[in-house]
Amino acid sequence: MDVSYPERAERFRADVRAFLAANLPAGWRGLGALAPGERHDFERAWRVTLAENNMLAVSWPAEYGGAGLSDIEQVVRSEEFERAGAPTGTENDGFGIGLLGNTLLVAGTEEQKRYFLPRILSGEHVWCQGYSEPDAGSDLAGVLTKATLDGEVWVINGQKIWTSAGATANWIFVIARTDPGVPKHRGLTFLLVPIDQPGVEVRPIKNAAGYDLFCEVFFTDARTPAGHVVGGVNNGWSTAMTLLGFERGAEVTTDPIRFRRDLDRLLELARERGRDAEPRIRDELAWCYARVEIMRYRGYRGLTRFLAGARPGADGAISKLIWSEYFQRYTELAMEILGLDALAPPGAGNGGALKVADAGTENSALCWAEEFLHARAGTIYAGSSQIQRTVIGEQLLGLPREPRLDGGPFRDIGKPATAPALGG
Amino acid sequence: MFFDYSAEQQDFRDSLRKLIADRSPLPAVRARLGDAHDPDLWRTICDEMALLTLAVPERDGGAGFSLEETAIAVAELGRGLAPVPVFEAVLAIEAIVRTGTVAQRQELLPSLLSGERIAVAAVSGPDGLDQGAGPVTASPAGPVSSAGPASSAGAATPGHALTGSLRHVLRAHVADLLIVPALAPDGPGLFVVERTAPGVTVSGPGSSFDLTRPVCAVALDAAPAARLGDGPGPDLDGLLDVGRTLLAAEMTAAAEACLDAAVEYAKRRVQFNRAIGSFQAVKHGCAQLAVEIDAARAAADWAAMLAAARDPGLRTAALIAKAQAADTFTACAGWNIQVHGGIGFTWEHDAHLYLRRAKADEALFDNTFRHRALLADRAGL
Repeated sequence: MDVSYPERAERFRADVRAFLAANLPAGWRGLGALAPGERHDFERAWRVTLAENNMLAVSWPAEYGGAGLSDIEQVVRSEEFERAGAPTGTENDGFGIGLLGNTLLVAGTEEQKRYFLPRILSGEHVWCQGYSEPDAGSDLAGVLTKATLDGEVWVINGQKIWTSAGATANWIFVIARTDPGVPKHRGLTFLLVPIDQPGVEVRPIKNAAGYDLFCEVFFTDARTPAGHVVGGVNNGWSTAMTLLGFERGAEVTTDPIRFRRDLDRLLELARERGRDAEPRIRDELAWCYARVEIMRYRGYRGLTRFLAGARPGADGAISKLIWSEYFQRYTELAMEILGLDALAPPGAGNGGALKVADAGTENSALCWAEEFLHARAGTIYAGSSQIQRTVIGEQLLGLPREPRLDGGPFRDIGKPATAPALGG
Repeated sequence: MFFDYSAEQQDFRDSLRKLIADRSPLPAVRARLGDAHDPDLWRTICDEMALLTLAVPERDGGAGFSLEETAIAVAELGRGLAPVPVFEAVLAIEAIVRTGTVAQRQELLPSLLSGERIAVAAVSGPDGLDQGAGPVTASPAGPVSSAGPASSAGAATPGHALTGSLRHVLRAHVADLLIVPALAPDGPGLFVVERTAPGVTVSGPGSSFDLTRPVCAVALDAAPAARLGDGPGPDLDGLLDVGRTLLAAEMTAAAEACLDAAVEYAKRRVQFNRAIGSFQAVKHGCAQLAVEIDAARAAADWAAMLAAARDPGLRTAALIAKAQAADTFTACAGWNIQVHGGIGFTWEHDAHLYLRRAKADEALFDNTFRHRALLADRAGL
């Protein structure tokens, strides 16, 4: 076993560091150190700088606008940006580049790749994800949003919800039902839909911490060209799952860096408040330290397998459970350390960060209180802890599935199998 | 960039797992609950597999592999609760390799590596000392005591006399040599004592909680002993971190054995006209432990990698691995009993053998809470 990176990756690491040193503002401490007004301007200008310097999609082929390097360079880019507290793009880039773009590379047509990928990188197309619905959360294949082909266009009706960064997007990828007459997983289609049209309405939802981070999206006779299907009509479930496979790609090595940076902040808080020597607090801090180290070890193992061509299956479910359950225990510890300050936490908030606060964020009581609230979302979004445990139990351990009540044609689910007997 | 088992390591692991399954299935383990020692298996492991030589440098007569391979070996033996003193002997050999002079290594290692003689390291407690019994003291013997030296003349000739008592020496009843930490007037040292030397009394195994790895009490009354090395005090912390690393590998594999047994039973056992493993209450319990095992595996492999490289990062990694593995093994051993229901809580069922091993392993080198306290200190938290 040897966790040193290949020489070409280390050479690229030096390039990335040089790029960051040359392009980040003087005295850079992280996104969290910027005032709210400055932050917006910085993010916009930084996105342009990243696009101009080929730092957005390092592993994409050059013919589609990428840097034409390999997966390990992409990982190195993300690691170095994380260490510097520099964003790798906007939140929408996570959907456009990280999820949709990577999916198009493996499941898109040549025409789709040539049309969409450069526009994702240029920032012309800004993406969000249309998966969950009010009646289809964990049961994703139960989506009701309907798409019907009308000549050369799909006509879409229905509603999506929990759409992160929906308010800043102008395109959305949608799982829609295109055949209700077949079993639920088989009648779905993965569609690419422009948001700037009369049939699409995006409304923000305020989360429990008070931030507008996600949206609901309504489709009323919304339209998209017949060719904007990824992976084939009625084959959308497969495309949707391919996309989710990219959800936890780079995170395995960058999460430990983020969590470690934030743990150092919590240690500072515990010391400042004279709580770090209390046996219970110290035990919890040591547990947190050990967990973040274990995430780091797992990151190297995940990277080893990723570079060998394996894609995370049940392994991704394990990673998700480890970080999200850690995040809750860790932020509960922060609230405990705050003591009475938890009752009316002073200072600046966490800026709405879904995971740990951005580098440079003030180490304030309010930041920890908001981080504590956001940690509750971590065990729900991107597959709840319960769904992850079912995946592990069935796919990794081979335990039998529960008897299903949702087989047969989708349109018949929930209807009595036989006509009820007449009374009398 | 490679953090996983190599193809060769996987082959080694698989062949050893098969050997243990063939030669030492659980009924055979149970048949030896008294002394928990299978001399035939020991011979096979030493002669055919040469397990004790793996981490020993070639200059000392070893195979020149590393502690990564040793950790794999200890793990596979732990998975089956195999009745052979490999963990103990490997740690004793590691102490001699790390601490002994060239002459001592040449004298002591050949018969230990071949398995002809068995050494165990008496380092069960925190700081390597046997908790509650007080330190063993070593007095310079001057002219060797009237009983005379127990070992042949040479580099390991007794120059000290040890006095004190050890209450929890793993498998001392099958040992020929004991490696004992003791306090000499000029500082702490590691000492080699012949089990049959005058002044050495080994009692047990008597009432050991872990029926498959019993402990003995050892009383030392001016027992002749040879000090390992001729330099400053031994790096006992470093030796204990190797012990923690190997124990973490053992516990992780044994935890897997428990979860495998629970899952296998949950697939077969039918209640309410369904396999109980289809119920989320059972399925999710198994899944959560699979998560913890995955974490324990990563931590144990990481520690083994650092131990093999003599990387100073082992000072924290060994504690992380031991604490994670202890929590995980205890949880898996308990869950296995729970999933099995009443049958799991019978003497006849093997589940309690693993629970006993889990709690004994957890206590070795100190409990998990104290491991985390030490981690906090060493990591500078």
